[in-house]
Amino acid sequence: MAVIAHDPSMPTQTHAEVTRDVIRTITEKPTRGYYILAGTMAFLTLVMFGTLGALLKYGLGLAGYSPPIMWSVYITTFVFWIGIGHAGTLISAILYLFRSRWRTAVYRSTEAMTVFAVMTAALFPIIHIGRQWLFYWLLPYPNQRYLWPNFKSPLIWDVFAISTYLTVSSTFLMVGLVPDIAAVRDHVSGWKKKLYGWLSLGWTGADSQWRHYTRAYLYLAALCTPLVLSVHSVVSWDFAMSIVPGWHGTIFAPYFVAGAIYSGVGMVMTLIIPLRKVLRIEHMITDYHFDNLAKLTLLTGSILFYAYAMEYFVAWYSGNPFEQMTFWRRAFGPNWWAGWSMIICNAFVSQLLWFPRIRTNLTALFVISVFINIGMWFERYVIVVGSLANDYLPYVWGQINPTWADWCILAGSFGWFGLWFTLFYKNFPIVAIQEIKEMIPMQRRSAAARGH
Amino acid sequence: MADQNRSEGVDRRQFLKVLGTTGAGAAVLGGCSTDRVAKLVPYMVQSEDQVPGIATWYASTCSECNSGCGLHVKTREGRPIKLEGNPEHPVNAGRLCSRGQAGLQALYNPDRLAGPMAKNAAGKWDEIKWDDAIARLAAKIGAAHGELAVINGYAASTFSTMLTKWTTALGGVITNFEPFSREAERLANQKTWGRTDLPVYDFAAAKYIVSFGADFLETWGSVVEQQRGFAASHGFHDGGMSRAVFVGPRMSLTAANADEWLNVPAGSETLVALAMAHVVATKHGHARAASLSAYAPEQVAGDTGLTAAQITVLAEAFAAAAPSLAVAGGVGAQHRGSIELCHAVNLLNEVAGNIGKTVTFGSAPAMSEGDGRIQPLFDRMAKGEFQVVLVHDANPLYTLPRSGKFAEAFAKVPFKVSTAAVLDETAAACDLILPNLHGLERWDDQNTRSGVTGMMQPVVEPVRGGMHTGDVLLKVAKVVGGAVASFNAPSFEAHLKGEWQKNIKAIDFATAMCEALGRGGIFAASTPNEQPRAAAGAVSYTKPTFDGAGDYVFMPYPSMLYHDGRGANKPWLLENPDPITKITWQSWVEVHPDTAAKLDVREGEIVELTSPHGKLRAQVYVYAGVRPDTLAMPLGLGHTEYGRYAKGRGVNPLDLLGAADGQGFLPYVATRVSVARTGDYQKVARVDGTPRQLGRGIIQSMPVAYAAKGMTPEESYKAAGRPTAETNTELERTAIEGWHEKQIAASQLGNYADAPHPKWGMAVDLSRCTGCSACVTACYAENNIPTVGEEQVFRRREMSWLRIERYWEGGTDGEPLQARFAPVMCQHCDNAPCEPVCPVYAAYHTPDGLNGQVYNRCVGTRYCSNNCPFKVRYFNWLKYNETAWPEPLNLQLNPDVVTRSRGVMEKCTFCIQRIRGAQHTARLEDRDVRDGEVVTACQQGCPSGAITFGNVKDAAAEVVQWKRDHRGYVMLEETNVRPAVTYLAKVLNIEPAAFHGAEEH
Repeated sequence: MAVIAHDPSMPTQTHAEVTRDVIRTITEKPTRGYYILAGTMAFLTLVMFGTLGALLKYGLGLAGYSPPIMWSVYITTFVFWIGIGHAGTLISAILYLFRSRWRTAVYRSTEAMTVFAVMTAALFPIIHIGRQWLFYWLLPYPNQRYLWPNFKSPLIWDVFAISTYLTVSSTFLMVGLVPDIAAVRDHVSGWKKKLYGWLSLGWTGADSQWRHYTRAYLYLAALCTPLVLSVHSVVSWDFAMSIVPGWHGTIFAPYFVAGAIYSGVGMVMTLIIPLRKVLRIEHMITDYHFDNLAKLTLLTGSILFYAYAMEYFVAWYSGNPFEQMTFWRRAFGPNWWAGWSMIICNAFVSQLLWFPRIRTNLTALFVISVFINIGMWFERYVIVVGSLANDYLPYVWGQINPTWADWCILAGSFGWFGLWFTLFYKNFPIVAIQEIKEMIPMQRRSAAARGH
Repeated sequence: MADQNRSEGVDRRQFLKVLGTTGAGAAVLGGCSTDRVAKLVPYMVQSEDQVPGIATWYASTCSECNSGCGLHVKTREGRPIKLEGNPEHPVNAGRLCSRGQAGLQALYNPDRLAGPMAKNAAGKWDEIKWDDAIARLAAKIGAAHGELAVINGYAASTFSTMLTKWTTALGGVITNFEPFSREAERLANQKTWGRTDLPVYDFAAAKYIVSFGADFLETWGSVVEQQRGFAASHGFHDGGMSRAVFVGPRMSLTAANADEWLNVPAGSETLVALAMAHVVATKHGHARAASLSAYAPEQVAGDTGLTAAQITVLAEAFAAAAPSLAVAGGVGAQHRGSIELCHAVNLLNEVAGNIGKTVTFGSAPAMSEGDGRIQPLFDRMAKGEFQVVLVHDANPLYTLPRSGKFAEAFAKVPFKVSTAAVLDETAAACDLILPNLHGLERWDDQNTRSGVTGMMQPVVEPVRGGMHTGDVLLKVAKVVGGAVASFNAPSFEAHLKGEWQKNIKAIDFATAMCEALGRGGIFAASTPNEQPRAAAGAVSYTKPTFDGAGDYVFMPYPSMLYHDGRGANKPWLLENPDPITKITWQSWVEVHPDTAAKLDVREGEIVELTSPHGKLRAQVYVYAGVRPDTLAMPLGLGHTEYGRYAKGRGVNPLDLLGAADGQGFLPYVATRVSVARTGDYQKVARVDGTPRQLGRGIIQSMPVAYAAKGMTPEESYKAAGRPTAETNTELERTAIEGWHEKQIAASQLGNYADAPHPKWGMAVDLSRCTGCSACVTACYAENNIPTVGEEQVFRRREMSWLRIERYWEGGTDGEPLQARFAPVMCQHCDNAPCEPVCPVYAAYHTPDGLNGQVYNRCVGTRYCSNNCPFKVRYFNWLKYNETAWPEPLNLQLNPDVVTRSRGVMEKCTFCIQRIRGAQHTARLEDRDVRDGEVVTACQQGCPSGAITFGNVKDAAAEVVQWKRDHRGYVMLEETNVRPAVTYLAKVLNIEPAAFHGAEEH
């Protein structure tokens, strides 16, 4: 039968080829382009920390805050990154539990993206508060003053949600890496061998190790799965628990989770479409994988579309004039451009993915994924800024005008994220060697069984 | 010089010295200094020890305008920290306007001169010593042989009397000059009654008030007194209220508080007044009727834009409401026909029988002459007739139009001397500056009106190196000798007390003077009420002429914050938004929306105005409260000197005006201008977002007829045919039955509902609030609120814990434009949304019902502000506490209130320091806090008495009575946050048919 040839989820290489192709991405001497990329990212990171230094010295007023908009670009960017951090876990954990084959080729990169995105996001609650040096007051640590955080505050829930997610997702990433690092260890020499050896935690590939390892991985996947849903739900409650029109909605948790996955998948595509070319692993991450990613995007994008529509419906149906005004102004108020950017980039652009030809056209997908990133940033901007701009008393309504401090931190966050990701893909296997290999014998066995 | 600086600045040692000499005791009122300034003895009952932390209060008199309001100066550890009204004073009865309260920033102004200065040959300033300065002045005066001119500001004081005698003795001429003089009124009074003094107006007794351009709530007359009276009569009380009508081309704050604004072209107010007088005189058969026969409403209505019926109805209502009151004058009505206007209004008052009732003569308020004599004086200067000119308490080179070439004339005088404490425009043109002491640093008095002498005593060591100008005069007299040898008092203080002794006439003068100082002055028990004799002043009307052929009448009007410009160096006043436009720190041109559309200009666009006398560039503010044929602009900014806050800020509209034209006053509204677009834009430092209520019922109102029936606002809206918020169907109502009560019960959990503590609450009567913003300044002063400056206001980061929200109603589709004002401060909600969202408990609920805010605990997540439906929380974006109070402004800070650094949220505390102070006093006296004992700063300052505060658990408390009023409502009730502030709906004296209740749907 032609099952083998036609099932695109099956790798076409042999064990040795997989190892070679993946290890090559690490052992190859970095190109000039790589240095330029890493250098740019490092520079942006410095810009961010320099700006943070200025904020520490002079105060948050350097950014473009304008009451009543007390949260603006920083919180927008925070939610943006937290959202990005959702696709990785969804693909690596939930799809793992569902035995979805197509995840194998892309899950490592999405998982790395998740960890770095959460690392980026976690900076923002600290950057955005007025007295950054006292951020630890949000942690429930024993202290002589008997002061305890307010567990009623969604911001405290947020602290727990993010720290839990960061811990679990980074553990998951590192555990998944162990056998692959061992593979790298066996292909390098000198101090690198020592370093990878240390990181591989003494992995020898023995049966007992594999048995424990697969159990542990399964367990971690199960642990991660609820977090995918809970973390962004909690983040959404930062807004939904308030009484701000435009924030106070029961729809927020599912709406945010869908948005998060949507934005995460978008970012995955933005990252790996160029990456597979640069690392010359097009044969490992194929149209088939993108087709599936695109379908996931289409699903979550459609949920978002529904949520947007439902928000308007609820605003109208509630009869609440404050809510109605907020949504009217979202479309036709001073921030209409942000509102329409969000709707066009998210709700409308994602609908293009109904067409299979677009789903497998990587150029189109890349463009769409960039639109998704922009759209999702604007979604958060619309929710955060657009709702605060016009709540109850018209007398205090206002608009913001972001400054260099806003843009430097925003650009710097991409630098910080990009730096980690750039360093990662050049030093760790960006495709999971062992899982790909796992699929080859499975494939052959089943092919043989079916074939004869 | 160094020594001198040290001895005259305020350093720590000096401070402690003051501390030691002032002493303190129980914070009794009535400090009285009986000895030299160096040995202040402020108490009648002396205490053994200084008690740091306990305030000492002195009585004094405000010198920020000529109204002469009594002050109570709160001093702590030897320095004044707040100015409040003197409750015993007959003029202001314990209240004080923004300008008066900001007098503290004149005392501590960082730009006050450190000592005398002389201009050297290079045109630069040298600091010199006082002995040298006096020697120079004496030498010049000695050599001038009587060619001496003196320009003096406030005229009615012992000092001014001495200055006049001193000048005359030297053979010089003295002119008392105040820019906002009421010369037109005096001349009109001469015409009507043959007397040039001004009456006192009793707004409290008037049942119908018509103002012809007189901004009696802003700058015209004794505003605090008038506002108090206006609130008493126009505030809803005993089932009724007076009716107020404003006639003039611009809706000023006064007009915005009237029930009706009759928008007539500048100059035609006279016709309205005459027509009204005609109707009333005819009706009453008054003797003046004959002289008014030519002015029947039908004959004059055409020129006013009103219908004859409108005027007749107005006049009949005016006549029917006895006593009524008509007032005219002020800068806004100071056109070339101003005398005729004031004369017409005099007649209106006379024929309506108001003389002796609401218009009383015999106790003329002190006023200086205005421009009538300043012009000839400058003419003589230009001719070189003077050798020396001395300017005291006046800044004519700023307050007179540039086109009058006053600066050029001034420069012709060889030796020019100023006593300004801050380098103002006139001082900058002088050769010698002898900075006077501030009113809180010197002995002085003000003969406000007959029977009212306000006394001033030094309550603080001089903050900078000034010298009392009275002492300068005496020292000069000693050197010059000859004709002025008789001015031989050892000091001005001795001279002043000698004069007081003549006035007080007590056997034990020292004690009597102490008592008078403690009261704040000498107040006669009754005020005279003379009946003026009618004079046969001819009734006439000449259409006022305007200079130039521009398309628009140019109408400069005095800013109620900057007054004649003297407020422009005080950050409290600069940051307090203009009550109408809500613009801070800037000048603007008011353009009617139709005119703006015609000119194709938008808000913030810079336009160039050109008159025959000059041109200026200013930003547009589109305002429906100005006639389409008129452009209005506030006075007071556009200084070229006057310290860091004023210099180069804004535009001076006087640049477009011509000089006085011989009638005796400066015709402010006498120019036509043309407008040209420049294409440039300026960001407008406005603090209001959207000026419409959008049917949210934030500031509610009702017509007087409904209020008289005891209707609630909701009932009133229903009666007006408004669908109210209650749109639920029967089924829905059943579904939510009991839900609200359950919510309330739930919100009580943990809110100390049954605790034995008091629960603090506030009520605001919007029928009394005029939007004057005195409470805002009081709040800044009491709570150490930093001013943030224009750049920060662009980002709406002003920190005003208390703001006056101003919404517009109507103004389109033929509906009359109406304003609504309400003070909005932290509402101290029982079910406060700010509290649960704070992750660190910086926002929490106190047992006595306050929303506490722990600055030290705040990390600045700002979630509390996001969740506050009233947006009354203010965040320290930058280190405002390091920039707001350059030395010595920091001395004004209230030591009972901490200053906040960047990164923390702050807000109204209901003046918790005052609550705790009252509780401590009560505890020391082993009793409960009495109702009325806790007075918040905003409540204390409010000239209208629109705010009350107290313990809502005390059934007898005034605040409870107010809260039970049928007009009471809370803002945003639908959010169920249960605010502690109740607002009593504004009452409009309009027909119910004209009430649409558009603010609620």
